[in-house]
Formats: sequence, C-alpha cells, structure tokens
Amino acid sequence: MDSSKKSNIRTISEINQKIKSGDVQVVTAEEMKKLVESSGVEVAYKQVDVVTTGTFGAMCSSGAIINIGHSDPPIKIQRAWINDVEVSHPGAAVDLYIGATMMSETQPYEYGGGHVIEDLIAGKEVEVRATAYGTDCYPRTKLDTTITKDDLNQFFLLNFRNCYQRYVCATNSRDEVIYTYMGKLLPKFRNATYSGAGCLNPLMNDPNYETIGIGTRIFLGGAQGYVIGEGTQHDPSNRFGTLMVRGDCKQMSPEFIGGGAFTKYGTSLYVGMGIPIPLLNIGLAKKTALRDDEILTDIVDYGVPRRSRPKLGKVSYATLKSGEVTINDRKIKVSSLSSLKKAKKISEKLKSWIENGTFFLSAPAESLPTDSVCNVMRQSKEIAFVSSVFHEAVTCRVDEEIKAVAQRIISKSVNHVIVTDKLGEIKGIVTSWDLTRAIAEGKSRLADVITKRVFTTRPEETLEEASRKMAQHHISALPVLDHEKKVVGLITSEDISKLRGR
Amino acid sequence: MDRILLRFSEENVEEPITSQVILELGIPMRIVTATVNSLGGDILVEVPAVHVEKIVKAFKAKGVIVKFPKLIEVDCDKCYDCGACYALCPVDAISYEEDYSVVFDEKTCIGSPCGLCVDACPARAIKLVEQNRNNRK
Repeated sequence: MDSSKKSNIRTISEINQKIKSGDVQVVTAEEMKKLVESSGVEVAYKQVDVVTTGTFGAMCSSGAIINIGHSDPPIKIQRAWINDVEVSHPGAAVDLYIGATMMSETQPYEYGGGHVIEDLIAGKEVEVRATAYGTDCYPRTKLDTTITKDDLNQFFLLNFRNCYQRYVCATNSRDEVIYTYMGKLLPKFRNATYSGAGCLNPLMNDPNYETIGIGTRIFLGGAQGYVIGEGTQHDPSNRFGTLMVRGDCKQMSPEFIGGGAFTKYGTSLYVGMGIPIPLLNIGLAKKTALRDDEILTDIVDYGVPRRSRPKLGKVSYATLKSGEVTINDRKIKVSSLSSLKKAKKISEKLKSWIENGTFFLSAPAESLPTDSVCNVMRQSKEIAFVSSVFHEAVTCRVDEEIKAVAQRIISKSVNHVIVTDKLGEIKGIVTSWDLTRAIAEGKSRLADVITKRVFTTRPEETLEEASRKMAQHHISALPVLDHEKKVVGLITSEDISKLRGR
Repeated sequence: MDRILLRFSEENVEEPITSQVILELGIPMRIVTATVNSLGGDILVEVPAVHVEKIVKAFKAKGVIVKFPKLIEVDCDKCYDCGACYALCPVDAISYEEDYSVVFDEKTCIGSPCGLCVDACPARAIKLVEQNRNNRK
C-alpha cells in the first residue's frame, strides 16, 4: 500500500505517477453514479482516482484562429471570405478568425463558419478570398487562393464561451412554428427541446471549480486541449458556469467536432469536450456522484421574444432524458439538441486515454471565479414596446350587418374592425378594403368577408418585432391580445411610422 | 404490416381501383397518405405482410404501378445522434436506443406529406426520398 491511500487526500502528481505506472483507476461519470449507489461514496473514493465527463453540443460562441502565411507581393487583409463565409480579420496582416455563426453569403443558414472549421479539420480544400486597401509595405489589394489545413501555420480552436453547466428546456406558446437556437418549436406547446449532457456535463461534476481552471488539460474535438479561463457570460452563482478553451485543430477529428445548421436561425459549431475530474478529496467523489434526477432546469417559453422569457416550471435531466415532459398538465415529447451518445463516447475515450497513459492531468495555474456575476446590457436608448403605442380597437360580432360595420368604420374613422365573440376572444378581422370588395362582389354576409386567420401581437412585444410581423405577412395592423388571448387593442403600421417620425 | 405505394396515371385515376381490389380480395388495407388529382397520384397503403404478393398482383393487373417505397433517407455518417428530430415526429417513427443512438423506423415514417424532421436536423442528415412522379416512363 502506498501512503496516499492511507491519507484522505490525493494530489494530481500522485495521480500522474499512477498514470505512468499504469495503476490509475478511472471511471466515467455515469459509472461513478452506479458505483456510489452500489458501494457508497467512501469505497468509491478509495477505488477511483479520476472521473471522466463529456458533452457534445452546439456551442455558438466558438471559432478558430488561423494564420495563412504571407503572399507575394504581401497583403494586409481588410476583408476575407472562406468558402463564401466572411471571416474576421482581427490582427496585423494574415491572421483570420473563423466565427462559427458567420453564414455563407451564397448558402446562408445552411453553411457557415462551423462548417468551414469542419471541412478544414476533415482535410478538405477551401477557397480563400480577400481584399485590402494596399499600403507601401503591403501593396496587394486582392487575393484568391485555395488552401488545406496543411498550408496553415497555426489552426487553433479558440472558443470564448463553451460548455454551459446546464441549459434550459425550450417550448413555444405561440400559434405558429418558431425556429430558434433551441431548434424547431411547434405551436401551442406541442414539443420541447433541451441541451446538455446532465450528469455527464463537465462543470456539473465539479460545480465549485476545485479542479478546473486556467491550464486544465481537456479532451477537445478529439484531441488534447486546454481551458484558458472562464467563458464569457460565466455565471457561477446561478450554476450557469462557462469555459474559454483552446485546442489544436490539426489534431482534431470530425467525429468530435462539426458544423450545425439551424433553419431560419443560423449556423453553429458542434463541439465535443471532456474534462477529467481528479478525485482529490472525498467531497469531489460526492459531487461526481450527482445524478440526472438531482439536476434541475427551467422550462422556458421561447414564444415570448424577450430577454426574460416566462418560466413554466422545473424539470430534471432524468425526465428530459426520458423523452417526455409535462407542460400545462399535458405530456409532450422532448428532444435533445446535443448528442448524449457522443457525450458518453467522449467520457469513455478520455477514460481510455488516461488508462493507456497518453493523457496526463494538469493542475490549474489559476482557479475560475466562483462569485462573478453576469449583467444585462446597459441600453442608453430606450426601446419601444407595443404597450406604449397601441390604442383601443373597434370591434364587431360576426352576425352583424355589413352596413352596420361600414358605418362604424366611418364614424370611428378607422380601417380595421376586429371580430370578437361574447368572451372578447378574437374570431377574425375585417378591413375597409374587405367591405369595398364585398360590395363589388355582391356579398352580403359579414362571415364571407372577414379574414379568420389573424396574426396578432402582445403588449410586451417590441415595436420592431410587431413591424417585422406586419412586413412578413403583408398586413397593416395587428390586434393586441393579453395573456388570456382577449383583445385589448390594435396597433397599425401607421401608429408605428408616426412614432418613428417623432 | 407492409407498405406499398400505388401509382395511378391520368388514364386510370378516375377508376375505383382501390375499392375494387379490396372487394375482390376481401383484404383490408389502411391508407396512410394519398396525394391524388385528375392527372394521377400516389396512395401509400399498409397491407398485411402475408397478402402482399396477392395484392400487388391485383393492382398490377389493373394497370397500377406498385412500388415498395423508401420514403426517407438518413445519412448515418452525418447524423450526430442528437435527436432534434425525435419530438417532432407525429407518428413516433424516431426513437432513442439504450445507448442514446437515434433510430428511424422506416416502416412507420409517412414521408413527404410530413417531413417535419428534415429542416430540424442540425447535421442535415435527413432527406425525403422524392418518388419521381414526373419522371416516370
């Protein structure tokens, strides 16, 4: 027996010694839960040195920095595109940052920066175009060439926000399908989506970042990478921690990193990441035993396009992984947007690397903050909402005479009349144009003239969103409904342009 | 149950062929989807597996083109096994296996009248198989 087994703590260098000698004991986070359940935390702590975690999901705040080398004559790139995806040029002459969410100018939404990174990693040839203003030392103004990863001096994944500790479960209250970064959400809560690996998630297994910090060696995209700090929007007090990471793309594999396309939302990068948690003390053994039913997240209505979206309840990752959640007393199917299969595979792969002695643990040079807060934007110009503009609506019932409605249009001098039922719920809309057409076509029943499928808005929607809806559907007004779907008013394109003209 | 796709032409689309076959053979069929107009059309039917041969023969004898359709194609190399498609499927043709693999039951999928999963796939691994109605000989 060596001395470390007798004492109550382990050190990273002791574990690395065991990796070298082939004596290290590694389990995946999933195996750890089972071991603790069957043998208890003390036995598990004695037996296990390292717990491996994994996650594979769309991580939009990702990208790669590349250096393409100097051309002859040299160019100081001002704007550049790879496979028609604009890439940014943040540095001196020939360094480019490929942002995962930048979209192709010829195939928007289908191909983007994430796909460029994937194609380069897969060894494919990509087309680089660039323009410049030309200087005495960098005279060239245009560039057009094809390259592969072998032609790049550096090709590093440099992701500024990855690996959310957990994420929300999304659903949609609206009457229409919406396409979001949480996927396709059917109308009236007919489906839900979630993201994250739950009990396999790296940060969930070390929630106080006792072992994860700057310099922690990790599995990244199929190769060894590093944590280089906390990610942007890192919010540890709400258990929404994030990481900033770096890895050598030239060593990565398309099996564990690749582009993603979200219809009507944009492109992204699926990133595979795994972090080894060294069990330095028994507390960490307890933490890595955390089960899916103990990790809760909010069910959020993405039908409301505001920063604070309404929360509809809480749900555990165990329920989410079962494929069914209950919303408003109804059971609906819930989809995972990240891959649980790949997350598991990553935790197993990392385990085998450590067991084979090809992956050693590193002690962080600095810990991640555990008390920082994530603030909202300071908006120096107030933005306007429907609630500040809409006015009372003129209404009618579906069984009224066309003439009576026409008279109301004249006496109230409006163009739109909303058709409601006894309870104040919307049944349709009729415009002065509809009535003109009714006369021209000899129609006498109001029911034959009204538009029954009506696009609506809510007081808390922004004016921008309301005018986008009107433009999209080629209409000039939207009835305003409250949360009980009762008509509370009307907003017209005229109201909006008056406000803009002020 | 097996699925067969019945293709009607402009010449025979007005004949009550499906009913005739059902009456003649006395075998029930379930119509899964139907896209028919005066120029012809496709009807996807589900029939008892033991009677498939008999039914196919009867339709062919009446001039109907019969196919065993592949309605959807999933590129397993592209698929991330996320399951973004799973909750959208109205006929429960998509499920998770024990190891979280995402699997398609091609026999349950109803194909092109639906297609809800296609644009929800972030890996763009799902394609509806066009039945090439306009290219037939």
